[in-house]
Amino acid sequence: MFRLQGSKVLAVDMTGDAVKAKNGSMVAYDGQMAFKKMSGGGEGLRGMVTRRLTGEQMTLMEVKGHGTCWFADRASEINLVSLQGDKLYVESSNLLATDGGLRTGTSFTGMRGASQGNGLFTTTVEGHGQAAIMSDGPAVVLRVSAQYPLTVDPGAYVAHQGNLRQSFQSGVTFRTLMGEGGGEAFQIRFEGDGLVYVQPSERNTIAGDV
Amino acid sequence: MGFREINSKMVEATVVPGQRLFSQRGAMLAYKGEVSFTPNTAGGQGGIMSMIGRRVANEDTPLMTVEGSGTVLFGHGGHHIQVINLSGDTLCVEADRLLAFEGTLQQGTMFLGSQGGVMGMVRGQISGQGLFTTTLKGHGAVAVMAHGGVFEIPITPQRPVHVDPQAYVAHHGDVRNKLSTALGWRDMVGRGSGEAFQLELSGSGAVYVQASEEKL
Repeated sequence: MFRLQGSKVLAVDMTGDAVKAKNGSMVAYDGQMAFKKMSGGGEGLRGMVTRRLTGEQMTLMEVKGHGTCWFADRASEINLVSLQGDKLYVESSNLLATDGGLRTGTSFTGMRGASQGNGLFTTTVEGHGQAAIMSDGPAVVLRVSAQYPLTVDPGAYVAHQGNLRQSFQSGVTFRTLMGEGGGEAFQIRFEGDGLVYVQPSERNTIAGDV
Repeated sequence: MGFREINSKMVEATVVPGQRLFSQRGAMLAYKGEVSFTPNTAGGQGGIMSMIGRRVANEDTPLMTVEGSGTVLFGHGGHHIQVINLSGDTLCVEADRLLAFEGTLQQGTMFLGSQGGVMGMVRGQISGQGLFTTTLKGHGAVAVMAHGGVFEIPITPQRPVHVDPQAYVAHHGDVRNKLSTALGWRDMVGRGSGEAFQLELSGSGAVYVQASEEKL
């Protein structure tokens, strides 16, 4: 059971079940807990190869036990996401914790990933349960529907879920090449039906410079 | 008296004649009224011997005495501030996390080796506390700094609490702490979960934990 204590601390009450959390993000616990390192990208040999190839090295740990465990990471704001069989796409650096029953994997993002400054791959979380994602500043959840597509800055994008198609947009013009760009040369456009999480802060991306 | 929280990063203290306040040097942001700030060469209370003690213990964060009548605003480095009210019990805190405290409190230095011998010294090294820690005892209020928000976890004899040494801020009450290790063969081969060392706090009291694993 995930709950927020303030906006920067995640408290998880456990009764013998397991949660997956970012390596080293535990700040305190009471009761009995055991910590074990896990590796992202799926299990077994295939997962290992995936990790090596994608560079999406999620270092997760499995926490199991009875009691309450508190998680936090560098005073980032935490958002709870509940999944009912749908898929959450999130940067591995923004993922704090997930229910033990959720599957985590890796997917290819193409140009979008490169423009975000995050590499070409992203982490997916799938199944039924809760996940906690981190953002720099409180994140807003924006709904995308068929009539209302959404365009976001790659640096402010945190995660998305639902049935969304994403495409990469570039606003590079003659002026940009002359060094007169507005600083918003690249955007990600979401179409379909789902939710997008956006943070009030921008990571350093190539797009921010042009 | 005591401290009033203006927002999460600033506190206001009321100074009345005859009651002193101690604060970290340079932590004053603004004041109203007739208030004087005197650098405290002894770095606290207790005369020359405890001053030498603090120098040796490296717990001699420069303090200043605040006297007069008026109100003073304190804040430092944009860190979150937690006000802890003590009623007779002892608070253990790192000297550089202390923002301000009331003069009614007794300041002292505790040798970590006195609690648990050699393991106590090892614990201090690992948690970055050093070999010594500052104690405050008596009745009064303390303002403590932390990175990110602070939350309090009560400790009861039945429920010991384990804390990440980097996220530990302070504790008060009748609490014994020891370093517990969860070192397994996985840590030896570099596949640890990143939670190899934990501070185990048992007894009765409370521990303050910050939402970050960064030191100040």
